[in-house]
Parts: sequence; C-alpha cells; structure tokens
Amino acid sequence: MAANYWESTQRRNWQYTREQLADLRKKLEEEEPKLVQMYPLPQLRHMSIYFNQQIARLGKRLGVRQQAIATAQMYIRRFYTKVEVRRTNPYLVIAAAVYLACKMEECPHHIRLLVAEGRTLWPDFFSSDTSKLGECEFFLISKMSSQMIIHQPYRSLTSLQSIFSLTQEESALAWSIINDHYMTDMPLLFAPHIVAVTAILLSIVLRPNTTGLQSASGSAGNMANAAHQALRSVSQAKSGNGGAQSAADAKVVRFQEWLAESDIDIEAVVDCTQEVISFYEVQEQYNEKPCKEQINRFVKARGLDK
Amino acid sequence: MKLLSSNQPSMATTPADSPDRSIDDFAEQMNEAEKNKYTKGRKLGEGTYANVYLGTLKSDPTKLVAIKKIKIQTDYKEGMAPDAIRELKHLQELSHPNIISLLSVFSSKDQNLNLVLEFLPLGDLEMLIKDTKNIRYGAGDIKAWMGMLSRGIYFCHANFVLHRDIKPNNLLIADDGEVKLADFGLARSFADPYRPMTSNVITRWYRPPELLFGTQHYSGAVDIWSVGLVFAELVLRMPYIAGDTEVHQVNLLTQAVGTPTEENWPGVSKLPAYTVPLPHTPVREKDYYNQMFGTAGIVGVDLLMQMLVLDPSKRITAKEVLNHDWWYTDPKPTRNKNLPRKGGGEEAVVADLKRRPGVVEDERTAKIARKLDFGNMA
Repeated sequence: MAANYWESTQRRNWQYTREQLADLRKKLEEEEPKLVQMYPLPQLRHMSIYFNQQIARLGKRLGVRQQAIATAQMYIRRFYTKVEVRRTNPYLVIAAAVYLACKMEECPHHIRLLVAEGRTLWPDFFSSDTSKLGECEFFLISKMSSQMIIHQPYRSLTSLQSIFSLTQEESALAWSIINDHYMTDMPLLFAPHIVAVTAILLSIVLRPNTTGLQSASGSAGNMANAAHQALRSVSQAKSGNGGAQSAADAKVVRFQEWLAESDIDIEAVVDCTQEVISFYEVQEQYNEKPCKEQINRFVKARGLDK
Repeated sequence: MKLLSSNQPSMATTPADSPDRSIDDFAEQMNEAEKNKYTKGRKLGEGTYANVYLGTLKSDPTKLVAIKKIKIQTDYKEGMAPDAIRELKHLQELSHPNIISLLSVFSSKDQNLNLVLEFLPLGDLEMLIKDTKNIRYGAGDIKAWMGMLSRGIYFCHANFVLHRDIKPNNLLIADDGEVKLADFGLARSFADPYRPMTSNVITRWYRPPELLFGTQHYSGAVDIWSVGLVFAELVLRMPYIAGDTEVHQVNLLTQAVGTPTEENWPGVSKLPAYTVPLPHTPVREKDYYNQMFGTAGIVGVDLLMQMLVLDPSKRITAKEVLNHDWWYTDPKPTRNKNLPRKGGGEEAVVADLKRRPGVVEDERTAKIARKLDFGNMA
C-alpha cells in the first residue's frame, strides 16, 4: 500500500455507482453492435468467475502472492470498464495484468516466464512473442490512465482482526470472502474497508467450523438472515434504540457496538453484504463450459490470439 | 494533433495488421482529450530513459510544462521500464508542494507514454552547490532548502513511500524558489514486515551504512541518511562522503562518521555485507561536527548528527526532523523569493529529467552505473 486511500486515485476515479457501471458497459456494447450480436457471451458474473479461475491458475504456476493476484484482478476489472471484452484476447489481458501487478506489488517476474506460462496454460490462445505481452501491458496502463496503486481490504482485515479477537477460522473465512469479492463488481463499488468490515461481519455471524466457507455458505439464505439480523441491530443501536440485541454471541454484540460507534457507512456495509450473498448464489449456478467456449470462439474467429 | 506527430523518432512500430489494432485506436481516442490540452514544443534533449520536450498549456500558452516521453524498451520486448512504472505509480498518488507534480499522462501515437510534469526552470540544488563562483548562500538559505526537502520526505514517508534516491540533483527548483523532490524511479511502498527489499538503491554517495552492508529490511531511515548528506553537502559545498566504489564508500563513511560496531549498533555485524576497515574509528563527537559544519550553528549541527546516526533504528525520523528546534532557532529560513538562484533554464530541466535514477553522473563514476535488478527482487 502506498499513499492515502481517501485522497487516492482509486477513490476519486475508480469507484462507481451501479448505474454508472451499467452505463459504461452499455456504452461499450453500443459501440460494437455487430460484435455483440455475433459473439454472445454468458452473464458478466459468470465471466468474472471464469477469469478468476484463469488468473488463479496462472498465479499458482508462478507462485504469486494473493495481494498481487488481487491487484491483477482489479486491473482487469478496470480495463474492461473501458474496453469491450470482445475486442481483446482475454488470456493475454490476464497475463499482462498479472505481469504488471507483480511489478506493482514488488514481486516481479520476467516477461519471458509469463509468456512461457501463458503458452502452457492456453497453448491455442497465446503467442510466444513477448512483445505482445509488453504491448498489452502498455494498453492496460494506458486504459487505467496509469493509476496503478490499488488499496485492498486485506490490510483493514489484518488491523481489525485483533479488535474483534477473530479466531483463526474466522480470519481465514473473512480472508477468503475478500478473495471472492474480486470476482464481483464490489471492488469498483465499495471502499476497501467496507469490504473488510463486511467480510468480518459474515465471518463472525456464520461461525465457521473447520471445514470453512463451503459448508458455511451452503445456504445463501441462512447467510443473509444471520447477517441482516446483526446489521439491523446496529442500525437500531445507532438510532438510539440500542439494547435490542438478540441472544447473539458476545463477538457479534461487540462488532455491533463497534460499528455503531464508528463512522463507517453502515448503508454501504448492508449493501455490500447483500452483494456477497448474491454472489454466492450466482456461483452455485456457475458452469465453466459455456464461458470457455464462447470466449475461445471470438478469440479464434477474430484472430486475436495471433 | 500537430503537437506529437512531427520530429519524433518512431520508437515502437505498430504493425498495421495487429489484432490489437482496435484497442490501439480506442486508446488513441481516449487519449486525445489529455493530449490536446498541451502543445508539445521542441525536443529539449534525449536520455537513455526518456526524451524531454518543452510543452505549453493550450488554454494558456504562458504556462510551461515538461513532457517526459518514456522510451519503450526495444519494441516492448521487456515490457514497460521499471523506472517509468515506479515513477508513474507514485507520482499519480502523491500531491504535495515539495514533490514534483505529475499533471497528466497520455500515450502518443507511436505508443509511448508521456508524463506531463510541472516545469521547474531553475535547475537543481546540485547546480547551486557546485557553482561556488557565482552563488553565495548562508545559513538561512540552507534552512529554507532543508525545510522544503524535509517536508517533502515527511510526506512520502507518511504515505508509506520510500524515495530511495535523494541527492542534490534530484531536488529541483521551481521558478518561485520552491524545492521539489523529483525522480521517483527507484521509489517503492514500504514492504510488509519481514518481506525483503533490495539493498541496491540510493546513489552511492548518499547511501546509508545499512544498505552498504546489504540489509534487506529497512525503513524511511535510509532516506533520512541521504537527507543528512544533502545537508552536509549544502554546508560544505561538496559531497561529504564521495566514494569511488562501495568498499571505498564504507571506508570514507567510517572516517567521516565512525565505525559501525556492535556497541553503537547492535546487530550490525550480522548484516550480509558487513566489513569495516581496521582500526576502528570512534563515532565522531559534537566537536568534530561543530568544527566542520559550524555554518549550520550548534542546533543545526545537532540535527545533522541525528540524521547521520549509524544505527537506523536510532536515526531521527522525518517527523522528528520537522519538530527539531533548528527550525525555531535564528536565523529564520529565507523566504523563497529571496533565495539565491541561477538562471538554469531549459538545459537544467533536461539534465534533470533524462537522468537514470540511482546513478552518480560524474565523470569518473559514470561507467559504473548500477541498475536496479528488477527481475529478482525489489
């Protein structure tokens, strides 16, 4: 992390409302009516999951830290608010984003290594010419107006976890919720600390057992209920009707009190919680096959892999 | 559009049949707005890392800017130059009167990045220090310059950025006399605890002992050491510790400041490259400094000594520097408009902007320029 979030380019230039985002994307599609018609794509949320899986594969091969992976995901998300996906080779964009993010997060890899790994992962869609990757890196930087410092929720989580005496399981769950939020528009909608607070809230109301999130999120509905109940009490406490807490455990009460006393935007936390929950619902219906096929189709048909 | 098309070496060739052509066009459109805000004037000079052009604001042609055009290394084969990335990354976020402002960034038609920087026409501190014939300055002037430098570096550290290349010729002077910290080509954010950073930063003469000894864990104290040496140089009007090699640098450092030992710096002997010449020189006392740096006054010497403490954990921090008594002691810092200056003009700007970071550009040492090893660790 560098610089101050409140004065950052992230806050000033890269945080949107849902309407703004929808407008941006609509505009991009309207500029390319033919492409859009010829190459239909699965819903954006599924595409994001697919992208994430590809980034994770590449990151794993390179042994990249989660922080750099998250930065790469942000770059990709920003990039595709400015460029219609069908004009690009997403595999090249993913590799360029990881390459750039590694430089940014001070864990650089050589460009040739990136290209070699790209070739291994996506042999039919990846050129062995390093200058392609360099060129794509340039477009990324240029599309992002060279604003490359990303503020992430991980640090807020690290500094808050002792306040709420999170157990190891709770921390791990909060951490993985933050990992997951990069598959959604949340990083473009909410400040990083809002996401961190939301992740903590969910982690304590869900009380993970050792098997972690998979079992906990088994029912997105339960998750929603628990989270909403906790947040409702916060709002009440804030508006002076305090003491209405149910038999929630001490940790939740403590969290509620802390949140109520803080200046954190509770509306945003409520909103963000809802986003997380609906993401897990969407994820249950995710199917890799159509994403892969439809992306590969336009990349091949348009010769973007050359 | 005429601003960028003429008179430029074509760096990166765009293959007309490139599939990325469409993005190229698109980027072009998006850039147009930014690009059109400026008229790019003649080329002022060419360096290894960037070319510098004089520019003016179209809406107000009296406003000058410096346009630093980053060369793309050999047709993108290696990706964007790390110096350029670091510079962009930090200047985009840091905005302070004592830090050079990045006004805008755009990519030009031949796909080079152009950094629009504020035009700082009065050269740099090094030029003033060196020009002993024409430029005279006193304690109040030094205090004014040091004050601006200290505020700039405090702001960097408060924002978790290490500059890692402070030296007089990276301290540029605006036409109102304000000193601005420039060249963020080696800057980085503070590392997370326990994560290593390269020790191969900061131009040798200004490099602190912990980096000379190869530590991979360091803090803002490295910059403070450099600030201390700039202070010393302002007083002496010559570099205080100017070694030809790293070994020579360590030798001179021990003579000038004292030998780092386990007594004055617990743990120093465990640093990877710790070697010191024998016999040991005791750490220099106040009398020594007073004799050498008397111009700065007794309180000024105290500040200097605290900046040049060998053990980085005991060295004064940027915040403490700002709270030091020296600023409240007579003489008062000179007002900017009364500071000595020289007509640096365009040449000075060019010299400053096209330099590579981390390098002493002096006759003897020009050949042994170090490069930041970006491929390995940063």
